[in-house]
Amino acid sequence: MNRYLPRLSLAAALLPACAAFSFATPAAATITLGASVQMSGGLANTGRYYKDGYEFAIDQINKAGGVKVGGKQEQLALKILDNQSDNNLSVRQYTQLVTSDKINLLLGPFASDAVLATSSVAEKYEVPMIQGGGASDQIFSRGYKYIFGTLPVASKYFESTIDAMEHLTPAPKTAALLFADDAFDVAVADGTRKLLQKAGLKVVLDERYSSNASDFSSLLSRIKSDQPDAVLVSGHETEVLNFIRQAKSLGVAPHFYSFTVGVPSADFRKALGKDADYAFGMTSWLPSASEKDRWFGDAEQFAKAWHARFGYEPDYHAASAVADVEAYAKALEAAGSTDPKKVRDAIAHLDFASLYGRIHFDAVGQIALPQTVIQVQDGKVVAIYGQTGFIGKAQYPMPAWGKR
Amino acid sequence: MDLLWQGLVNGILLGGLYSLMALGLALVWGVLNIVNLAHGAFIMLGGYACYYMFSGLGIDPFVALPVTMAALFVFGYLLQRHLINLVIRAPMFNTLLLTFGLDVVLTYSAQIAFSADFRTINPSYAGAHFTLLGATIPLVRLIAFAIAIALTLVLWVFLARTRLGRAIRATAQNLVAARLYGVEPRSIYALTFGVGAALAGGAGALYGVVSQLNPYIGVSLTAKSFVIAIIGGLESPLGVIAGGLILGLVESMTSLYIGATYTDVASFGILVLVLIVRPTGLFGRTT
Repeated sequence: MNRYLPRLSLAAALLPACAAFSFATPAAATITLGASVQMSGGLANTGRYYKDGYEFAIDQINKAGGVKVGGKQEQLALKILDNQSDNNLSVRQYTQLVTSDKINLLLGPFASDAVLATSSVAEKYEVPMIQGGGASDQIFSRGYKYIFGTLPVASKYFESTIDAMEHLTPAPKTAALLFADDAFDVAVADGTRKLLQKAGLKVVLDERYSSNASDFSSLLSRIKSDQPDAVLVSGHETEVLNFIRQAKSLGVAPHFYSFTVGVPSADFRKALGKDADYAFGMTSWLPSASEKDRWFGDAEQFAKAWHARFGYEPDYHAASAVADVEAYAKALEAAGSTDPKKVRDAIAHLDFASLYGRIHFDAVGQIALPQTVIQVQDGKVVAIYGQTGFIGKAQYPMPAWGKR
Repeated sequence: MDLLWQGLVNGILLGGLYSLMALGLALVWGVLNIVNLAHGAFIMLGGYACYYMFSGLGIDPFVALPVTMAALFVFGYLLQRHLINLVIRAPMFNTLLLTFGLDVVLTYSAQIAFSADFRTINPSYAGAHFTLLGATIPLVRLIAFAIAIALTLVLWVFLARTRLGRAIRATAQNLVAARLYGVEPRSIYALTFGVGAALAGGAGALYGVVSQLNPYIGVSLTAKSFVIAIIGGLESPLGVIAGGLILGLVESMTSLYIGATYTDVASFGILVLVLIVRPTGLFGRTT
């Protein structure tokens, strides 16, 4: 068998590449945005927000006449490839998009690891990439000029949560911090650790776990024995699902727990049913009518139109993806040209209101958006704490599992 | 001390589920000499079958379990008879390619059929637990453990005592001699593959109750089953149980005392160690 292994692994590496297929490229369009996102594979669940978001935004902009570049109305088109949740494949696909498909501008994949890897392609070929899927501080700390991001900074994901915790009665005194070992979650943990210290909370458990872990019984047992008041988890949706289910089956109920992902997503709440209640989370976007938008009216109308078209609720990933396309539309109009360098400079100077919030990139290419603290109450997401303080009433402390 | 006791309990319960996952893979590997790379996909299909019976028809997952296993048995039997059998005498590389392709087909069909949404089999008692000597014991995990052990023992008795079981073992040990004694390998192979798929289906149903389902869980479960089969050896179902328990305990202890990020390092480290020290598995026949 050993004799065959190297060849097998080669075949295994090549097969997905052959299987990669591409979707719709309307011929009439003149400005093509290229992207390689997770339409299948482990991250397909969140990847679909990006595929649907890019398509929806482009359709809507074209319906309104397209974009006016240097006095000429131009239509937008999308060239999107399925990277099968494989970052190496994604890098090859971005290279293909730039070199042989001759796309004009790039949209990003989902998740920090993928953005970290693929943004180097954008930088190398000097084609801008606006992405709404990677938030790790690492992406923006390499001095790259062509990468822009519309997710808030990873290290500040828990900032508003810790703020809110200080204002709860009784305020949590001790905390546990659990995080997966990928670029995004490590960045979240590094930032959160400092924020917890600043807030005067004692960190009794600070543990990194392997991404895609499915068993949390040992970590939960440690939480049970260390008794932290608050548990902050930075990970992926599958891990958070397992964490909550196993917390219930081991009878672990801290007064407060919050998760970086999952809570805003309808599919996640459905999978957990009643067990999702009391979980805190955060979102950089809520479908509120006060967020006005040139193409969709406002965020509330956008959410309705999205649900009507795709049959599921959008979350901040979706809104972030739409904002990326809108940013290109605005930047193309401002640049008056499709020259990647001119568009890049126009992006750096953007400042406009969108359904996702204010789009204005800082010096490193990231936007500043506050995270609103949310909680699942009776299966619904309720906004709890924002920049102005409490918006809704938190259900706190969380009761024991047997007393719900 | 309490934490150690709880960690041991966690590891053993986890190990029971692991054993059941690996059992089908080890059986098929031992008898057909095929490493079924689609094994994890079978587990995934079993999970979905049980999920739809539970959420669609309201059947209790533990009642749906035998139905799931029966369905997967038929699926596995037909698959072997009409597909795998084509390459049964081919070099191992071909069987690996075929089962790898099968895994891709099943996984992507599952995404089209079931979507990439996360599913959980979540009956009202899914979170029930009780305390034993200071350790919290999740009820569902205990039941899953008991079912895993029971199925392993049934398989062991079946292989050791029944006529059919002896025929399966004879085919595994010496194909020519078995044929001389009148064993028809074609039906034995299909039957064994069916039993392997049924065990995977049962593991999938239990996995859906304690964890979560999506079309992509298969690959990592195949890898885990592979590790367990290597540790335990292919000789006997009891070796697979031991392999599963060892892996469960190692993961639990690693995450308790070394760090949760190192669980994979530890489990695959053991795989390498076993391959160096005892290539036939800890409980396999030495050559």
